Amino acid sequence: MSATPTAQGGAQALPRTGTIYQPDLVVVEAIVDETPDTRTYRLRFTDEAKAASFAFRAGQFGEYSVFGAGESTFCIASPPTRTGYLECTVKAAGKVTGSLRQVDVGDVLGFRGPYGNVFPLEEWEGRNLLFIAGGIGLAPVRCVIWNVLDLRDRYGEVTIVYGARSVADLVYKRELEDWAARADVRLIVTVDPGGETPDWSGEVGYVTPVVEKAAPSPDNAVAVLCGPPIVVKLTLPVLERLGFADDAIFTTLENRMKCGVGKCGRCNIGSVYVCKDGPVFTAAQIKALPQEF
Amino acid sequence: MSERALLLTHDGLATLVEELAAAGTPAVAPAWAGDAGRAAGASAAARETEYRTVSGAAELAFGERLPRLSLKQFFLPPTEVLFSWRRVGGGVELIPPPTDFAAQVVLGARPCDAAALPIVDKVMNWDYADELWNARRAATTVFSLACGVEDDSCFCSAVFLEPAAARGSDGRLTPVDGGYLVETFSDKGEAFVAAHRESFTDLPAGAGGEVLAVQAESFRATARERVAGNLAVDHGRLRDWLDHHFDDPFWAGLGPRCNGCGVCASVCPTCHCFDIVDEPESVGRGVRRRNWDTCQTCVFTLHASGHNPRQDQNARFRQRVEHKFLVYPLKFGDVLCTGCGRCSRACPTGQDLAEILADIDARAAIDAGAGAVGDEGAADEAAS
Repeated sequence: MSATPTAQGGAQALPRTGTIYQPDLVVVEAIVDETPDTRTYRLRFTDEAKAASFAFRAGQFGEYSVFGAGESTFCIASPPTRTGYLECTVKAAGKVTGSLRQVDVGDVLGFRGPYGNVFPLEEWEGRNLLFIAGGIGLAPVRCVIWNVLDLRDRYGEVTIVYGARSVADLVYKRELEDWAARADVRLIVTVDPGGETPDWSGEVGYVTPVVEKAAPSPDNAVAVLCGPPIVVKLTLPVLERLGFADDAIFTTLENRMKCGVGKCGRCNIGSVYVCKDGPVFTAAQIKALPQEF
Repeated sequence: MSERALLLTHDGLATLVEELAAAGTPAVAPAWAGDAGRAAGASAAARETEYRTVSGAAELAFGERLPRLSLKQFFLPPTEVLFSWRRVGGGVELIPPPTDFAAQVVLGARPCDAAALPIVDKVMNWDYADELWNARRAATTVFSLACGVEDDSCFCSAVFLEPAAARGSDGRLTPVDGGYLVETFSDKGEAFVAAHRESFTDLPAGAGGEVLAVQAESFRATARERVAGNLAVDHGRLRDWLDHHFDDPFWAGLGPRCNGCGVCASVCPTCHCFDIVDEPESVGRGVRRRNWDTCQTCVFTLHASGHNPRQDQNARFRQRVEHKFLVYPLKFGDVLCTGCGRCSRACPTGQDLAEILADIDARAAIDAGAGAVGDEGAADEAAS
């Protein structure tokens, strides 16, 4: 017996919204220069109905289009608690991200998503939260941080450890000031040795030892860790030494993707498709995977 | 579904192909790749075939060599437009591709190529339905041609199929004296036969019909027997071995024999990985395409940062084997391979998937054996 595809097909034209690979149109509402090579783009759906109905949860990602240059995968860096827009923070590194540098407020881009799984924020209610981010890894963590701070009563202590190569490479500088000023947030910001400026008052050192020195308590706590693969790989054992259980440590994997919907075959790690089974994983899940990320 | 058997004589097949051509219904069939092949006395190397839309029976190459490429291109073209875009005023307009594909029929698909279709269906429909793939699937009726087995690279019987497998076929032709015995397996197959009933003949009543039925069964049985000797693996233990030997030195022996050219993926009926790229067509307009891609290239998993999770060809070849025999099976309860053997035949460096599977299966058997011996075996080893 031949299997029949589940979707309708044959003599049937697509609606204007097209296939699963066709993005929704978004207009750039604001651009923030975070560092010399990193910008945050605030986007709003051009279709009012889409703008009103769009919903996502912390941890999910999207495929962002610059028409003519292509599509790239970034997390949604704004929190789901703030509606009417979404933000992504992008470092110019390749073709699409380079093209984004040419984009101005008012330009039209494309967005597909939200895709992927989520941070289980409901399960974390009542618990202390430790956020650790390296470099642009603060983008996915920022989404969770604001989500938590917007629902502050539901969570225990909030500790944030953020590190970047240099003072100039710190992203979300104004928000770091906001967090530093809050009595209900413990913020530790560090820059790599040599990356400090004469007036730098934060820590100097790599993220991993700074976390170890800060020695956050694992009691009733959850850790969220995002950053370049090397930061994740080095910090996981530190969290373990501090007493964090493998299922209380969450991270996101950032494998290269194209389709975002489990078709193009690019992002798998062993039998896990990062686009559909991730991007959020616990340390326990990561340890069970082949170390190919 | 009816199992009603009919006969398609050689003349009937010719009439059918002409009728389809006249009606403008594309009929895709194995056909001679060039004039040289069909000439009498052509060398084996020249007798190449390909699947293409045919308009006359003279083009058909039924029962000849395996077509160079699989049927995949008719459902997932090597390149296709996902949408067009153009700048309009201050905005952008997106134009979806057409999906109202006209009905087409495949006549004489290799069963290993037809079987690949429902295998790829699963990938194209988990959670998100790929409209382009599905629309082409829905518009296409597939009649396979029972296979007499190509050569020693075939191993369909080692991947849950056989040379006359019905999987993915709406109907099947089996060679018999004077033409082909015809069976249908789906409503689509039934409808196609009904619509072209005059090209088909009833089986002769009585002994004449029985002889043809016996001939067909004998053809299929001979092919089954022939391919069975090529490869046999135990997928359970093979999968288990793959799952526990990601870092095995075995993989380091495969990378050096691979150029990373990706021809294995191009010719594969089940490889479906694709790239998505933008192609400007002029100032202010362009298309987004998807193109066939392969995990065998060094850039497949390369991050913009320069980080690459699959650093070398060992890792890339391991991905090819694991995707087919571990990742896809764990996700979809099946294997991502129909045993057509094209990858082995096409490989410029002689990488042979059947040999590799046999090798892994042998290692898996040793592991399984060692496990069965248990502590006693381990103690003996320690003592010696």
